[in-house]
This record gives sequence, C-alpha cells and structure tokens, in this order.
Amino acid sequence: MKAIIKPLLVLAVLAPMPLAPAQAHHSYAMFDMNKTLELKATVTRFKWQNPHAFIEVDVPVKGQVERWAIEMTSPNNLQQSGWKRTSLKTGDKVTIYVHPLRNGSKGGSYVGIRFADGSTLGQIG
Amino acid sequence: MKRTSLLLFACGAALTTAGLAHAQSGGSLPPEGLQEGQGAGFAKGHYAELDALPDWGGVWFLNRGGNTGQPKLKGDYLTNWDAWRAEVAANNGVEKRNRSNCSPPGMPRIMQLAQYPYEFIFAPGRVTVNQEAWMQTRTIWTDGREHPPLEELDPTYMGHSIGHWEGDTLVVDTIGVLDTLPFSNGALHSDKFHVTERLHLSPDKPDTLVNEMLMEDPDALAEPFKVTVTYRRDRYGVLYEFQCSENNRNPVSLNGETEFE
Repeated sequence: MKAIIKPLLVLAVLAPMPLAPAQAHHSYAMFDMNKTLELKATVTRFKWQNPHAFIEVDVPVKGQVERWAIEMTSPNNLQQSGWKRTSLKTGDKVTIYVHPLRNGSKGGSYVGIRFADGSTLGQIG
Repeated sequence: MKRTSLLLFACGAALTTAGLAHAQSGGSLPPEGLQEGQGAGFAKGHYAELDALPDWGGVWFLNRGGNTGQPKLKGDYLTNWDAWRAEVAANNGVEKRNRSNCSPPGMPRIMQLAQYPYEFIFAPGRVTVNQEAWMQTRTIWTDGREHPPLEELDPTYMGHSIGHWEGDTLVVDTIGVLDTLPFSNGALHSDKFHVTERLHLSPDKPDTLVNEMLMEDPDALAEPFKVTVTYRRDRYGVLYEFQCSENNRNPVSLNGETEFE
C-alpha cells in the first residue's frame, strides 16, 4: 500500500451499500469501506459503461508512477448525481477519493472527485 | 398428387379442435386458463383500456436504505445458511460465487437493485418490467392465464409471473424460480418458493412506487418473509445499455473470489 498518500477517516459512504436490498452487480466486500484514500492523479482512461463506470489514473509516488483502477457505480446513477460521459478526459489532473481494495492491489471504489477546475462531485475529504 | 391429398386429409382428420387452434395461433397452444383467441397475443382492440391503469410513466430508481430483515429459515435451509454465514465470516465478509457476476440474481432480488433503474410497460394482457440491470426483461401476464402445473414449469431466473389489478395495485404471483439463486443474503429456497408482490404508487407521494413482496416456502421458510422496497420516479430518465461481457472487470476466480481488473 505504498500508494497511500494521505489516509483519511471516512466521512460518508457514497458507494452502494453492501447489504440487501441495495444489491449491486457484485458484493462490495472486496473494498475497505471504512478507509478513504486521496489520490492526486492524472486520468488515463474513463470508461462510461455498465455494469460499472471505471476511471484509470496514474499516481506519482516517490518518482514512480502507479496505475490505479477505480470502480464507480452505474453510469445512470452517476448521471443522476451530476456526472456525464464527458466529465473526464485523458490527461485531466484530478484528486480522487476511494475506498481501497482490501488486498492491497491498486484499485478502489469511487467516493468523490475534485476536478482540475476545482469543482467537485461525490464525497470529498 | 393423390398421395399428398390423402396425407393432407389424414392430417386434417387427426386435428382436433385444439389442433386447429394450434395451427391458427401459429405453433403454441393457449396457456392454462385461456381459450383460443384470448390473451396478450390478441392485443388489437384493447389498447384504449390501458388508459384506466395508474400513471407509472418514467423510470424508477430503488430508494436505498430499505430494511429487509432476515428470513426465518428452517430445516436444511437453516443449516445451510448457518454454514454459508460462517464461511463468509471466515473469508473476511466475502461471499464466494459459483457463477459469473455477469449472471443476474433472478427473482426476487432483481427487483431490489440500487444501481440500475426499472420501467413498467403496460400492454393489453401483460405488464413488462424492463430492467437496466443485465438488460433483463420480466413479463407479468395479466390476461387471465394461470400458472402451468409446477411439474411442467421449467425453473428460470425470473420464474413464471401472473398478475391482476386490484384497483390501482398490481398484484403479482410468481412461482418457478430456480432454487440455486439466493433470495436474501445467501438464503436459498426450494422449488415451492412463491412470491406475491403488491405494486402501487404511494398514497401520499405520487412519484414513489411501492413494492410489497411476500415470500412463502413450505420447505425453506418457517414463516412468510416480507420485504418492502420503494422506487423513486424520473420522468425523463432512460435505461442505459448493459452489456456485461463488454465491461466485465469483476471476473470470478476458480475458487469463487470476485476479482478486480
């Protein structure tokens, strides 16, 4: 977990709840929903498609670059909260908040984002 | 030529009334409870009647945070659920799967999904529930047909659903759901599983749809299990395409772990 830049206390859980009836495409047990990481990142890919939208980003860590994959909820749910297919493009500098994978791999569940222009969506901090 | 005529005559003679009906309707016999010429396949002339049905237009998103409680299982079903729960606890809360995450949950959980909305399409003799999730579609027959006998019913993810209107409430009766699909947090049911849904707009909130689900199973449940969920309306919302195979980043490993790519 070298990529942990600034562990934060979780403020809220925006991601789908793991309990019924809020069933999702799969269980969220793979994520540590009690931990939120802040990633200062550059977008390499934004996939706007069911069952989950994904953001792939590069995160600079001690002179190296780590590639993180961040799973989001469905595009339709994201659209309801202000997202669009064009909200991100490759090269965008963003700060992303995620619940990390428990197994230490470089992935997580989306919590919130601060865009390059300072605007935000989801839960920040 | 003569032989052909004889053959046709013989075939014609062998056709009973049902056989003629069979030929007229194009291959399938009327289902249980319907006569030839009745049913959803004969919708023409009945569309005006739909205007008497309640206003369920738009798409519907599940409201999160509904409290489902736990079903009271019995017998082997309770024993198996205890074992399942112990295994999940021993595995950091991760439920092992024996099928792809691109495989839908089936009834009743398909009606309880938070991430993907629903729409209800009225047509004469049927209500179609389109579901963004897995691009599933569910048919509720409201043309008066009955369930086939259970032993003749092929078990499916959705089961066999028949419905009728009681005022502005759609009452749906479902049987024939695959007994390999958990209906609540790892709990399995028998082939006698029976779901009754009462779907209606909230009396005080016209943009809230209520689904009161009652589950019964003489083998698996010690008492009926009731789950009520609500959905909120988006008038101009649409269902998005869902092609899991095109974006399957959560494959299931050989030992049942959901992976992340």
